[in-house]
Amino acid sequence: MTNATPSQLTTLFDNATLSQIERMRLKPLRRLTNRSRGEHLSGKGGSSTDFADYRDYAAGDDLRYVDWNIFARLRRPYIKQFQHEEEMHVVLLVDASTSMLFEDKLLRAKQLAAAFGIMGLLNVERVSAYAMHSQPDRPWMLPPGAGRTRIRNLLSFLEQVEGGGSIPIEKAIETMLRFHRGRGVAILISDFLTFGDLSRPMNLLFSSGLEVWGLQVLAESEINPNVSGDLRFVDSETQDTLDITNASELLNVYQDQRLGLQSALDAMCRSRQGRFLSVNSGATLQSVLFDQLCRQGWILR
Amino acid sequence: MNLPGFVNSVGAWFFLALIPLIILYFLKLRRPKMEVPSLALWQSVVNDQRVNSPFQKFRRNLLLLLQIILLCLLVLALMQPFLQAGAEVAEYMPLLIDCSASMSAVDEVNGRSRLDVVKDQVREQIEHISGDQKIALFAFSSTGRRLSEFTNDRRTLLKALESIQPTHLPGKLDDVLRMAAAYTRTFPIETVTILTDGNLPDQVDFELPFSLDVKRVDAGGANVGITEMSARRSGAEEWEVFVRVAASSIDLRGVELQLWENGAKTAGEAIEVSSEEAERLVFPVSSGAAQLIEARLVPTGFDSMTVDNSVWLTLPAARPLKVWTSPELGSWRHAARVLPNLDMEDTTEDLPKGSDYDLIISDTADLGTAQAPVQVFVGVIPTDLQDLIQVKEDVAYVVDWNRTAPLLRHVQLADVQIGEQPALAAGAGAKDLEERGYEVLIDGNAGPLLLQRREGLRVSFWFTFHTDKSTLPYRVGFPIIAANAVESAMKQASLSEVMAAPTGVLPAITVDAQRDYMIRTPDGESLAVKSTESGTLEGIAAAKVGRYDVMDGSNVVTSIGTGLLSGTESSLKATEELRFTELTVAAEQTDQLDSDRPLWWFLALGAFGVLLFEWWYFQRARGAMA
Repeated sequence: MTNATPSQLTTLFDNATLSQIERMRLKPLRRLTNRSRGEHLSGKGGSSTDFADYRDYAAGDDLRYVDWNIFARLRRPYIKQFQHEEEMHVVLLVDASTSMLFEDKLLRAKQLAAAFGIMGLLNVERVSAYAMHSQPDRPWMLPPGAGRTRIRNLLSFLEQVEGGGSIPIEKAIETMLRFHRGRGVAILISDFLTFGDLSRPMNLLFSSGLEVWGLQVLAESEINPNVSGDLRFVDSETQDTLDITNASELLNVYQDQRLGLQSALDAMCRSRQGRFLSVNSGATLQSVLFDQLCRQGWILR
Repeated sequence: MNLPGFVNSVGAWFFLALIPLIILYFLKLRRPKMEVPSLALWQSVVNDQRVNSPFQKFRRNLLLLLQIILLCLLVLALMQPFLQAGAEVAEYMPLLIDCSASMSAVDEVNGRSRLDVVKDQVREQIEHISGDQKIALFAFSSTGRRLSEFTNDRRTLLKALESIQPTHLPGKLDDVLRMAAAYTRTFPIETVTILTDGNLPDQVDFELPFSLDVKRVDAGGANVGITEMSARRSGAEEWEVFVRVAASSIDLRGVELQLWENGAKTAGEAIEVSSEEAERLVFPVSSGAAQLIEARLVPTGFDSMTVDNSVWLTLPAARPLKVWTSPELGSWRHAARVLPNLDMEDTTEDLPKGSDYDLIISDTADLGTAQAPVQVFVGVIPTDLQDLIQVKEDVAYVVDWNRTAPLLRHVQLADVQIGEQPALAAGAGAKDLEERGYEVLIDGNAGPLLLQRREGLRVSFWFTFHTDKSTLPYRVGFPIIAANAVESAMKQASLSEVMAAPTGVLPAITVDAQRDYMIRTPDGESLAVKSTESGTLEGIAAAKVGRYDVMDGSNVVTSIGTGLLSGTESSLKATEELRFTELTVAAEQTDQLDSDRPLWWFLALGAFGVLLFEWWYFQRARGAMA
């Protein structure tokens, strides 16, 4: 983690990275927006300066939108229609369970959540954040808000998140949806290592008008575990044990299972008009943000 | 192949040790703990079908599996499994080992004798003997010899086996089979195994009380040997020595036959012989005094057996035959007088003056103190037969006679008329005569006309009628009978023909009566013997080919030599089957004896291998963890 200094806005990343993030914006696959104005163009006609179409004048229409040049030539009034800019709700869901404490997974998750939140706030979106942990003295929710002034609150909220506990991600999503209102994008940042079924929370997110972005953060030891011999694995969250004999012989199966999980999550997100990406917590934030996510079309520079 | 058996079946109880082994394995299995973010992925790995396949399970528990295999191998080794050679392998196994002269024949390639090959087979059998089996070793050549009692003590058996050496005697089964048969009364013997090169008489006069398993090894290489040696007098001091040389192979083989007299080579001749073409050679030898000559064979190429390359023959001193006839037997005296080399005592006395003669022809049974190896009694009924034979006043004639008897060879008796009639008593027959030691040579119409009796080296002929009371003296056959009597006496006194003595027992040696002598054998050993009342040394074992000296103190009284002189042994021919009284047994050729093959050391070796593998596997796993 970057040390916070008077000249640094946040401990999550330095100012140079922050300035780069400020010039980027989210690129949702669908235009799921709220009625209130925003900077995202709605599919419906709106009042932005971007021309959309013409339609016949109807009684009651605002005369300011009549195209008088057309009227002069055709002697018929036509109303100019413009792209409607509406507000999009960006929901950040950060998995802060004990499993995320391994090898800077939680730090990377908080950094990415902060980046996504800043991008949303700077593009006049409503941004809310939720942290999934079992720390009663720590905040777990940042209420929705918009505007540059919320950046400070968002960064402060994320900096205070400390991992711990064993809340399953599916349960955390259901909890979050009880407080959430509005359409937009739900960005789930987690390792997605759960015994539960993610289909139901995904369906709930989708039915709530949220585009599901799944971002899996895995440690290097999870992507390429270096284990051999007879071992007793202990679950960091539940303290359950699992005896493994001749672990090195099982690595191929492990990789198959890991890739299978990623494929299943990817399919789960795509089938709900969303997207999925798995990143290594060992990779630098810059490479994830400015390379992987850009190339995958998650954000625009 | 039969199923393996177990010597120590009780050892199977040790398989119960598998239970604590498995329990301890799982109880003592300490795995290092390792904290992971979540077990979700690893749990799905463990639940994967591929991981739970039997092969993967086997790999996961390889150490336990190796320990189970190790324990099973050790317990099986403890049970002492063995592969049964056959159902006939019994508890008591007599092994009869041929150590006749042909067993000393060596292989041309590896130089090993047949006996060495057999000993290897028996040694392996002894090494593989199981706990409840017992072996008794017998060796046989012309006679049998027990080397060990039934025992499973390997040391005793191996010591007995090593004591077997090839003899210089021909092989014969009868004695050793009788010896083995005697054991069947004490032990439940089912099968007797004979190990031989097959050079045995194919006819055995023996009724088998057990089954016989004849194992035959390959014959040795090509052999050349002396199979006969004899000498015939050709003059007063001249001898013709005959030697027959035979070979075992069909290819002609070159040899030099040498004749040695008194340690000096006096003659030699190079010849070529084969199994189809034996050579007979004659060497003239001049000898007035008694001497020992040796025929020695020097092969120019490979010869598998050396024991038949030397034969000794004793030539007696030249002297005339000493004959005494009763003064009344003018016809006999007249017929014999014309024969050469005869010293006939002229006498008018009824009894001989001297005591030792070569031939006595008498018309009375009382000869006083005189004695001769050949005696002819004319018109005399033996004292012990007078109750069986009476002479009647009647005419007798010859019904039949033994034409092969030495005294009657070339004699025609068909028309001989006899003026008195020897007749058997009522109820008496030839069987009664045989029981008293007499053999009928001429059968008359009422009883025997000529009897023969053998007493040791001495032979006596008894004419039950007086030849002067018959037409016999006027027949051509009469001088022939007289000449045959002289010839028999000549042979008996070894004055006309001598044969080389084969190994086994020395021929009777005439010496002073009732005296102690020493026999010096070819091995240099000394053997104390005592002469009989009749002045002969009899029954002296001569197991080796060579010269035997009869010593009286430090003086050599006489010498006699022996040779193998067995055409069968020298030919190395192997018989395919042995014909017994009631059945025939095939001689099976084999390189290996049927014996139980112990498997415990295979299992122990396997256990050691598993142990090494387990150690390597364990160290590898530890290294990987470190």
